[in-house]
Amino acid sequence: MTDNFSRRDFLKLAGLGAATATILTGCGPASRYVVREPYTKMPEYTYNGQSTFYATTCRECAAACGLVIRTHQGRAIKAEGNPYNPVNLGKTCARGQASLQGLYNPDRIQNPGQHKRGEKTFTDMDWDAAIGVVGKALAGGDFAFLLGTAPDHLFDLAGELSKAYAAAAPLRFSALAVFEARATLGEAARAIFGKPDNLFFDLSNADLVFSFGANFLETWLSPVAYTREFANMRRAKRGYLVQFEPRMSQTAAKADEWIPVRPGTEGLVALALGKLAAEIKGKVLPAFNGVDVAAVAEASGVEQATLERLAQLFAAAERPVALPGGAPLAQSNGLEAGKAILALNAFTSGGVYLTAPAAVNDAYHRPASLKEMAALIERMNAGKIKTLFVHGVNPLFELPRALGFREALEKVPTVISFASFPDETALAADYVFPDHTGLESWGYQRAATGAGQTLISGAQPVIAPFYNTRATADVLLAASAGKLPYADEVAFVQAQVTGLIGAADGFFGAGDLPSFWAQFQQFGGWWTNDAKLSVPETPLLDKALQVEAPPVQGEGEFYLHVFPSPILAEAGANKPWLQEIPDPMTTVMWNSWLEMNPVTADELGLLDDDVVQVISPFGMLEVSVYRYPAIRPDTVAIPFGQGHTAYGRYAEGRGVNPADLLGGDFNSAGDLAFSGLKVQIKKTDKKQTLSRLESKLGVYGIGEKKE
Amino acid sequence: MSSPKIPEFKAEWKEGEAGRWGLAIDMDLCTGCQACVAACSMENNVPFVGEKESGYGRQMAWMRVERLWEGQYPEVKTTPFQPVMCQQCGSAPCEPVCPVFATVHAEAEQLNLQVYNRCVGTRYCANNCPYVVRVFNWADFAINPIHANPDKDGKLVFPLHNQFNPDVTVRRRGVMEKCTFCIQRIHKAEDQAKSENREVVDGDVTPACAQACPADAIIFGRLDDPQSRVSKLSQDKRAVHLLEELGTQPRVSYLSGGSHGNLG
Amino acid sequence: MAISASALPRAHAEEHLDHEAELRKEHLMLDPRPRGEMNAMVMESMLTTSWKFWAIAALMALIVAVGLFGAWGYMISEGLYVATVNRPMYWSYFLVHTVFWIGISHAGTFVSALLRVFKAEFRRPFTRAAELMTTFGLVQAGIHIFAHMGRVWLTYWMFPFPNQRQLWTNFHSPLMWDFLAINTYLLSSTMYLFLPLIPDLAMARDRSTGWRKTFYRILALGWRGTEAEWTHLRIALNIFAFAILPVMFSVHTIVSWDFAAAMRPGWSSTIFGPYFVVGALQSGVSAVAMVVITLRYTMKNMDYFIRKEHFDALGKLMLVISMAWAYFFFNDYMVQWYGGDKWTDALLHFHEAGPAGWVWLMMLITNIAIPWLVLWNKNWRRNPWILFTVGLLANVGMWAERFIIIPVSLQINRMPFMWGQGIKFGVEIPIFIGSIAFFILLYMIASRLIPLVPVWEVQEGQMAHSIRKYGKEPVVSVADLE
Repeated sequence: MTDNFSRRDFLKLAGLGAATATILTGCGPASRYVVREPYTKMPEYTYNGQSTFYATTCRECAAACGLVIRTHQGRAIKAEGNPYNPVNLGKTCARGQASLQGLYNPDRIQNPGQHKRGEKTFTDMDWDAAIGVVGKALAGGDFAFLLGTAPDHLFDLAGELSKAYAAAAPLRFSALAVFEARATLGEAARAIFGKPDNLFFDLSNADLVFSFGANFLETWLSPVAYTREFANMRRAKRGYLVQFEPRMSQTAAKADEWIPVRPGTEGLVALALGKLAAEIKGKVLPAFNGVDVAAVAEASGVEQATLERLAQLFAAAERPVALPGGAPLAQSNGLEAGKAILALNAFTSGGVYLTAPAAVNDAYHRPASLKEMAALIERMNAGKIKTLFVHGVNPLFELPRALGFREALEKVPTVISFASFPDETALAADYVFPDHTGLESWGYQRAATGAGQTLISGAQPVIAPFYNTRATADVLLAASAGKLPYADEVAFVQAQVTGLIGAADGFFGAGDLPSFWAQFQQFGGWWTNDAKLSVPETPLLDKALQVEAPPVQGEGEFYLHVFPSPILAEAGANKPWLQEIPDPMTTVMWNSWLEMNPVTADELGLLDDDVVQVISPFGMLEVSVYRYPAIRPDTVAIPFGQGHTAYGRYAEGRGVNPADLLGGDFNSAGDLAFSGLKVQIKKTDKKQTLSRLESKLGVYGIGEKKE
Repeated sequence: MSSPKIPEFKAEWKEGEAGRWGLAIDMDLCTGCQACVAACSMENNVPFVGEKESGYGRQMAWMRVERLWEGQYPEVKTTPFQPVMCQQCGSAPCEPVCPVFATVHAEAEQLNLQVYNRCVGTRYCANNCPYVVRVFNWADFAINPIHANPDKDGKLVFPLHNQFNPDVTVRRRGVMEKCTFCIQRIHKAEDQAKSENREVVDGDVTPACAQACPADAIIFGRLDDPQSRVSKLSQDKRAVHLLEELGTQPRVSYLSGGSHGNLG
Repeated sequence: MAISASALPRAHAEEHLDHEAELRKEHLMLDPRPRGEMNAMVMESMLTTSWKFWAIAALMALIVAVGLFGAWGYMISEGLYVATVNRPMYWSYFLVHTVFWIGISHAGTFVSALLRVFKAEFRRPFTRAAELMTTFGLVQAGIHIFAHMGRVWLTYWMFPFPNQRQLWTNFHSPLMWDFLAINTYLLSSTMYLFLPLIPDLAMARDRSTGWRKTFYRILALGWRGTEAEWTHLRIALNIFAFAILPVMFSVHTIVSWDFAAAMRPGWSSTIFGPYFVVGALQSGVSAVAMVVITLRYTMKNMDYFIRKEHFDALGKLMLVISMAWAYFFFNDYMVQWYGGDKWTDALLHFHEAGPAGWVWLMMLITNIAIPWLVLWNKNWRRNPWILFTVGLLANVGMWAERFIIIPVSLQINRMPFMWGQGIKFGVEIPIFIGSIAFFILLYMIASRLIPLVPVWEVQEGQMAHSIRKYGKEPVVSVADLE
């Protein structure tokens, strides 16, 4: 322990933290697993009627929010935010709250098993046999890891393992990364700020925010952190938020202005705003010189007067910030658009920072772009991969069907899934060796953005494993038989954090590993006391930026806007309470819908709940119409998150998966250019009523047409 | 047998101006993210009901986030997201109409209690609630066999039941329920304070919704303590009460409008 | 003088004899038969049972078993989600049907007690049929109240009984008032049904054998027909007739308070009390007409007791009540509309223009337009088919009125986000059909067990009435018996 941090202080802090007098408990240096004891011989920290609280990390997305789980006699009862974790400071989103429904999901895979691909059930195996299978696969070489964006420790371990076997580095992937076009963001950051690091957008101190399709209140990067930032912004000076996007998201609903810009012209709008603002400020910024404002107004559908007014706002603001969201970047002109939007931040310094280096392994950990995924698919097709290990990701569901992952998977001789749930990919695998769910696991997660501090969020099991599952890290270490110098998963995690023991600026410090490890568990991670953000160098704006209007894919009339459902995101569909939580904008529950402007719907003769066919060059699906008042008449929108063909009783056969409509075009940074897609809408005779919380009668009026 | 105490007509249904516990919700900050709804449902063992039932007004969440639409495209706007839960009225319309005293006012907490065991399910309280925040157990949603797996002997096992909060009753079909201001947390804090020989102070209790809220838009605390955050917020000039004209003395204040003038 | 001959056409002298015959044919009171014969006629009507009767009774029993108790049992075991209730429509068909049946039950007492108090002589042959309607209607109302409750197995908690847990009922709750009022009404109306039944039961006892004799002997309470017994009976009936009227008015007023005392737009109306009472009479008197017509054409010897004069009188009553209902409806609507409260405005607009707008319109047509257009015409109201149809439509209209007041009005509240999700059909429909069958079945059983015509009252009336002649003009005279 450090000199100035006593046990008393710790308890005080801990007591303040949670609602009740929380004691953040570690398992003690000696024990690695929670052992379920008979009630007659209870562990000292388990009193009848008393709850025990464990700090861990949320795995519902990769933002690395800290959780404190209340447990009661061996059962996890409630997830709360970890008040110390700088990412979320004690707060959680709906997905984090529902994480226990993953732990106790009735559809969990309970035993390791094998089956013929495509069958719904598995034949149970024992773990020794499972480890044998994995060991053979590793020894056979030519394997590939396909991992999710969480947890990080497994990614790091797989990286070391791949290196030890001289195999290709593991790939990580998540649908959220596709919708956020993270590769493009990184490339744009490199182009403008000279560094590919993650960016931290300081909304708290901003007085004007131009958000180009960045749904930072829903799913973008680190929603809990950015919601806090947003609230700080509103509390302090009440910064002005302008959202440019074709469909009103939650963020646009909270914005002071929503500018429904034509999809694919966000970059042009940014350039025009930059040019106008530079003129007002009398600055000479060559980056913006090449743009014709009138032409931009014409192309984007935003009136020139509006552009001028916004530019004036921007020029007058003290600390304006421009956010490049996912949809503008996921265009064929996405990289240029990203540069244009980031370039707007050149007017001031202090809006955008480069995030602090991660506490552990601050090397490459960016999710793969879809182009890298396509390369993997090519290797699979070419028969260059003998074994594919899949963990924490469901590519059969999350990847656009047009990429051909399904067909490529058939060419891989052995597919081993470590999924906890019978998702599409697990059913298409030969073996499933279920990992513990996040709340039963050790591990850590780096925060990509959201906190200023250098940070690593720690995970520990909050209950004894509920089923006969085993940590994938342990399975890999056992199967690799001494290739790596770690006894087990905990040893690996400890080895990773050992470097932090003596770190000067830590929130806590300790002289030896056991003490450090105990506190690491107690606090749910390690982070520095102070922010370690760095101000990017002067933006590289000496060359004129060019943003072309994106070529339109598809023959249809309507732009298709696909956005991740803020409640379900990529993997929430199997949690029943998340299914039942109404979508914030439409209040629809348990299903998918197509948002369409009522004017367009009237033209097509469509009422609410009429089923339409949505036809893109890459696929077709049928979905109910929701007459959504706040979407461009030339755009339709479908949320991503439903449409599972497997994944348990709550997800299966519910809604549609818009990824089936998306194509295989990439932008110059390698991200999927899905935003420019145009689709056809065809009416059908069918009708499928959407469950909504709102009363159509009260919200849309008595005079609305009867059905 | 001593005769039961019957409240004085009308007087009993009213109480002082302040109340004891209160919420303040800043609608300028609320992003409609539904974290509060999820948190509340997880804390209070609220069952989910499935697609068909939820679409027919049987969703059981104790709170909801309301939004209406204003205007036409492209000048369309939503009204500010507004979380609505039981307003814990000082003069609650639900209380006098229950024929069996299943919804009563707690003297100690000055909250509106729902006594599940006493409820016979006339649903009058819900009809008389102008905020439409009461939810009824239309069925035993939590023990529907579709959520269960058979064990080796064919007995149904409900893994999701492991999540039940032992501090909160699991309700069966036929009873009314509603937001309690997480009274189980209030009681825990009161017990703790009592054992430390002190009063409960502001900040001892945080209900699940306020604890989860990423924007910190929900503030809970002692209304009878003029120094508490919630007291100050509910005295703020931005504070309004829902349907104030009905004289129900709601204990939830909504802060409407921006805190400062807009830049533009 | 309840019956006047002046309405009859003045005739030439040679027609006087015909005139007198016509009077006797028209009025039961003027067409006396020997007591023995009349008693035999009533006994015969009770004992003559065709296979059709049993077939219909069996069908009704089946509907009751499946529709009422089957569906209800299913709902109890499953929960109320099988019914059409949700948020914000916490009450719906069950309370519609409760109010409907209470309304039906009203006319029994109204016809019997009010007409007795005002000495309306045309009441005599069908008072019992009407009183039975009260009791049986209340049984159906009770079934629907119980069905409406979330935990029907705890109904007894509504009774204020001393218990160890010191739980007490809330007398501030309109539902509690309602519960007590309905119980009071059920008890008093059952007694009011039973009292005038005693002499007839004694009559039946003296004319039957076997188990029936035992049955009637027990129920007749040893009635012998002494002067003292008659005196006591008359006094008791007089007291009851006066006492039960305020009970009757209070019951439906209190039922209306379930709604009027609530804090809801459209419900919070001070005129709901009398409006509901008149509405109850509207449906109840119509139901009496329907029952009387049915009895007249299905039971033996009933064509003697029930005549067109009764159709005529009931038709007039229906017309007057329809006018009163229209007045109250207009009054309620007018004041609510003029108030201009935005939620009430929305509600009234929703009544007319919402998806149930056609029900609202139908209510006005069947409750006002049709009675007014039809019942003014003497020939039409004396036609059993027309009267039955008008009565049926009035009941449909009154069902619609309660439907508008309960589930339709509950779609609208002060939180537009939580307005209604629409009204569907649920398990209430089989339960309602089952309760209609139950009502009919109870009536059929009663028609086999007790004299449906109060013979002694008819005989009493006939003794009091006579036709005298002033010159050649036949004139009806009535002696006051009390």
